[in-house]
Parts: sequence; structure tokens; C-alpha cells
Amino acid sequence: MLRAVIGIALAAALVALPHGLSFSQQEILVFLTINVLLVASYRLLTLTGEWSLGHVVIMGVGAYASALFTKQLGLFVPLSMLLGALTAAAVAWALSFPLFRMKGFYFLIGSFAAGEIIRLLWKRFRDPFGGPKGLKGIDPMPDFSIGFYDFDFFEPVSYYYFAGTVVAVCLWIMWRIEHSPVGLTFHAVHWQDKLAQASGIDVRAYRTRAFVIASGFAGLAGALLAHYIGTINPNSFDVEVMVFVLTWAIVGGTATFYGPILGCVMLTVLNEIVLRELGFEQMRPLIYGAVMILSILFLPKGLESVVERLVGPRRARA
Amino acid sequence: MSLNGFLNGLSRRRFIASTTALIGVSAAGGIAGRAYADEKVIKIGFLAPLTGPVAAWGKPGLDGCRIWAEWVNEAGGIKLADGNYTVEFVGYDNEYDPAKARTGGTKLIREDGVSFIMMLGGDTWPGVQPVADKTGMLFSTLLPSDLSPDTTTLIAPAEVHPIYNVTGVEWLAENRPELKTAVMCAQDDALGLPSVATYLAAFEAAGIEMQSEPLLFDPATTDFAPVVTKLLADNPDIVCLDTCYSDYVHPICEQLFQQGYKGQIISCTADFYDQIIEKTSKEFMEGFVFQFPDFDDPALNGEGINFKDPNRFFEVYNERHPGEWGAVSWEYASIMDLWKSAAEKAGSADPEAVIAAMQEGGKGKHAFGDAEWWGKDLFGIDNALVGNWPVVVIEDGKARIKAMKSIPEWYAKHGELLKKHMAAYGQMWDQRG
Repeated sequence: MLRAVIGIALAAALVALPHGLSFSQQEILVFLTINVLLVASYRLLTLTGEWSLGHVVIMGVGAYASALFTKQLGLFVPLSMLLGALTAAAVAWALSFPLFRMKGFYFLIGSFAAGEIIRLLWKRFRDPFGGPKGLKGIDPMPDFSIGFYDFDFFEPVSYYYFAGTVVAVCLWIMWRIEHSPVGLTFHAVHWQDKLAQASGIDVRAYRTRAFVIASGFAGLAGALLAHYIGTINPNSFDVEVMVFVLTWAIVGGTATFYGPILGCVMLTVLNEIVLRELGFEQMRPLIYGAVMILSILFLPKGLESVVERLVGPRRARA
Repeated sequence: MSLNGFLNGLSRRRFIASTTALIGVSAAGGIAGRAYADEKVIKIGFLAPLTGPVAAWGKPGLDGCRIWAEWVNEAGGIKLADGNYTVEFVGYDNEYDPAKARTGGTKLIREDGVSFIMMLGGDTWPGVQPVADKTGMLFSTLLPSDLSPDTTTLIAPAEVHPIYNVTGVEWLAENRPELKTAVMCAQDDALGLPSVATYLAAFEAAGIEMQSEPLLFDPATTDFAPVVTKLLADNPDIVCLDTCYSDYVHPICEQLFQQGYKGQIISCTADFYDQIIEKTSKEFMEGFVFQFPDFDDPALNGEGINFKDPNRFFEVYNERHPGEWGAVSWEYASIMDLWKSAAEKAGSADPEAVIAAMQEGGKGKHAFGDAEWWGKDLFGIDNALVGNWPVVVIEDGKARIKAMKSIPEWYAKHGELLKKHMAAYGQMWDQRG
């Protein structure tokens, strides 16, 4: 009962949230929502113990695929988004064959190399990828009305509701996966891979499964981004963006489902709203870096450990 | 009342509350340079990279604009039909990212109420284009390759990059006719490619033979030794550095120096060239041809120059930002000269009125002299202001203007060559996207 009340209150707060924000903060909220899906999908990948440096490129695969499905084939935008996600998952599946011959640090470097190859292909093949300038004039979501609310997707509030709904459904699916037998096996593969193998579990197959599913969600995040800003280029998915995703995951913590999301929200608000509005526009990279170093020094288990400290004792008492 | 109406009403009230809080925070932060409350203020947006690898083409421009604003405000501000206005610049760091540029454009227009927005352009413009189209805001770019008939409120009034590069090659051919062969390298991106096409047209027009295809390197390149080795393999008379960012120009020059090159170098920019001289030598950099003068150059005091007191501007800039003078330090300020003149002529800061006044008669006053609104052939719209452009040569460690050459005159003779090479590199306006 209490959970249902909290859930309804949270949903109501998220619906009302954009109306308490300025126009630019509403824009940031849209990108934050998309990034929540990206970082949550990244955590799903890390459940099996592998950290990738190609996740943002996979997001880009979804973005490019969805943009091309609408530009070249004239497909309906929501359909092309789904196909973009499936394309990202398919590319991840193909990459899993060479990549999962490696583990740990080697997988990390291998995933970086694979990502760079994909980015180079986008740059090299102007047709259809647009080369270094990428694609622009990507179709936006078509506007529609549901009677009591008109969706105008140029407006960030409308797109936030659309993207927020998609992201909420995806988070629910990821949560369900993690708490299913498959998700528990992902944990087993991470923490007890030898034991899991001895129990007859195909460790490589489960790692591939996590990689493909996570990539599908990342691809969907890319598609959501592409159809909002209307332009993508290879630099939108470079290693610098990947460093941000890693930072969100590390600062937030990856032991819980909400840890990376918390890191993403807190750091985005700090970087894009607080520091800009306090007039530290040009010092943001410096301050952002300092915050990251301090959080690693003083919160090695991430922001989620603070939440656990606050909520944990209450949970135990209950 | 629809839900949209209800939510919008809620938004406005909360927006006022949050804006009030923000103003409080800003005041507590002691943000300097704001106009007094009883003054009438025109806000101008500056939406460019202020941090990150492309910041060198954003931040120095904002620093230059702040000097420009001080001078204009001291002289009484901008004189419109309903009185005098002081100018205030509102910056937003787009980090050269289209998504952040969109957020910045929205903020500047819908929250800060700016009357005009200056951008670097390039990769960031497509992110802002829908905002420009929806709001009708007047934008400027330094990169006319952003221009297209789709957006009539985007102008390129300062820099017709890369077309002015033809003037450097033309000058070189006239003054050093013994140079017959060239090689070129460029980063493979939105700035590099149209510039490659332009240099190819200029070399062909000048009768200079390209010894090999332009060497396009990845923008992530950090080791330029192999690039330079390959360039020098055919022993060229001229090495052309295209429109490389300063992060490339510096290491390429170092490599050319270390690998013993003694020939001619030509480049679009040579930002912070004093640092290149430190890393190489004065002798090595002697005769280096590029396109962006220091504004202490005596040639800029001549007739026909429309930039106010360039020598003093350079001096003040260097006092405040020592060692930071670059290609864009004066460009955004020169755009503001043009905008101010048009707004005063129109008596209004309304974007439509300003652009109509600016383009009246198809002529305009560019920083380097009288110019014409041009570009239909290449950009599909006459929204680029084109006239003379300086050819700059490093002599005894100092950049000096050697000539002012006319871009329209070159284009009248060799325009078809330029179109041919632009089309070959997919850079014509109807080939983009």
C-alpha cells in the first residue's frame, strides 16, 4: 500500500516537474530523461561484470538507424525508433562474437576499439551516414492530440512526457529483468562465474544476453535523442560522452538499480543548471572534475551508499 | 480550460518565482557589468563554445564583444526610435554540441529576451535551426556553409569561410611565382572539407599543381609525425594547412620544422602564432601566409576599414587577455557593428526590421571595406556579406597585412572552379544533410 502511494506521488511529481522549471531547464530535463535510460542500460550491462567503452557508440547506432529509417524509408517515427533499438541490439550481438572472447580489461579496450571502428565508418561513408557532419533534418515525432492534451514535440514539455513514458516503461522492463531468474544469473556470472559455469550455466551466453539487451535500450535512447534535436554526428557519440556515462555510474554507484540514475541526475543538475546559473560557465569542467575526485575519495561506494545509510536503518526497523 | 492551458499558467507563475530566485543568486554572486535597473537594455546572445577543444573560436569572441559593449555604452549606447539602449551580452557555452546549442538558443530567446544571437555555427547550427525557424530570431554564423534558403534569418556577415582563402593563394601566386607545386592536409570535418575544396579551386586558378590528393586526417589525431612525413614525401613547394584548428596547426608546424621543411606554408589561421615561433624559430615561420591580421596592424588604419579604432581594440584586448588574441577576437564585435548600424537605421531591434535594414540595397559595410550580400550560387541564399579580405604574412616574428584582395573579383573569374570542387566534396548547399 505504502509503495503504491509513493509510486503515485512520484509519478505525479514527475508529471508536474517541467512546469516548475524554466524553458531551458525543461530542455535539460528532456536530455536528462534520455540519459537516465542510457545510464540504466549501462548498469544492466555491468551486471555480468563487464564494463564497456562502446556503450555510447551503440546508442549512436540506434540514433543513426532510426534517423535513416525515417529519412530513407519514410517510416513512422515511433516505428523507426523501435527498429533503431533493434538495430543497436543486432549490432551488439554481432560484436559479441569477437568481444566476448575477452574479459575484464581486455573487453574494456576491445569495446572501445569496436566503438571507434563504428564511428570511423560513420565518418568515412558519407552516403548514407553523412560523414563528419552527420545527419540533419531528422524527422521529429509527429504532433498529435489526446483530447485533453496537445502534444507539440517542438516543446520540451511534450517531448519530456513522451520520452518519460518510454523511459519509465524501459526502466520497468530492466527492473523486471534484473529481478527475474535471468537477472539473478547475470549477478552469478559476475560474482561467481566459475561456480556458475560448474552449475551448467553458459557464462558467455548470459554475458551476450546482457550486452544485447542493454544495447537495445541504449539504441532506443539514441533514437529518442535523434528525433528530438534533429541532428546527429559522430562526435555526439565519442569517448568524451562515454566518460560522462562512466562518471554518472561511478559517482552514483552500481550496486543498486537507482545508483547510476542518481549519479546522472545529480551531476547533470550540478553541471548544467547550478554551475551555469551561479556564473561558473567556463569553470564547469574544472569543478565537475573536482566533484568527481572528491566523491571517489569520500564516497567510494557512490551516492547510493548515502541513501542506503539513510534508508537502510529504517528498513531494518520496519 | 485544457490541461495545456492550465499547465502553461502554472508554468508562468513558477517561472516568475524561479527567475526571481535566480536573479537573487546572480546578485549574490556579484556578476559584474550589468546595467542599472532604470536603463533600457538590449540583450545580445552569444551562443558558442566557451569550453572544450573548439573554445578558441568562441571565448575570445565574447571577450572582444565585452570590450565593444563598453565602448558603445560609453558613447551613449544604441539609438533606437524610442530612445537609447545600453548593450549587454548574455553568453551560453554550447560546448560545440548541437543539443546544448538548442538548450542555449531556447534560454537566450525565451528567458533572457535577446534581440540577436551570434554563433560560431558548424555542427551546432542544425540543433538550433528549428528554434530559429519557430521563433524568427536573427542569428549570425561565422561559417556560411550553415546558410541555406530554409532559414532566412541566418546571416554570415563577418567571415565567408572558407571562400576568403582564395585571396592568400592568389597573392602567393602573384608574389612568389616560382612556387609551382603544393600538398594539403585537413581534418575530415565540417570546417576542413569546404576549405579543402576552396584551396583546390584557388590552386587550380593560380596554376599551382597539387602533387597528391588532400590528406584528410581524423579530428582525433594527436600524432602528426606520419601526416607530415607523408606530406613531405614529394618535396612540395607549398604545404597548405587548410582550416586546421590551432590544436593541429601548432603540432603540424612543429613537425614540419623537425622534419627539416624549408618551403612555403599557407594556412587559413595561425592563432597564437607567437607560440608556434617559440616552438620552432623565427626564421622557420618567416613568410607564413594566413588570413587573420593582428589589429595593431597599421594597414587597418587606412581608408575603407569599417572597424572602429582597431589598434586601440587590439591594445585593450591584449591588456585584459594577454596571449589570447585569435582569429575570432574581432569578428563577433564586427558583426555587432553591422547589427548596431542596421538597428539604428531601422529604429528597432526587431529581428525582421534589422535584417531588412542590414540588407537594404544589397550592400553592407564589412569590417574590411564595403561589401555585397552574396551567396546564392553556393549557399542558395544571398545572406553572406562578401568584399575584401586581408592576406597576412609573418615577417620578423610579427603578422603583417600584405594586401587587401577582393573575393568577388576572384569569384567573377574563377567561380565555376570553386563550384566544381565544392560539388566534388559534397559541399554545395543542396548536397548537405
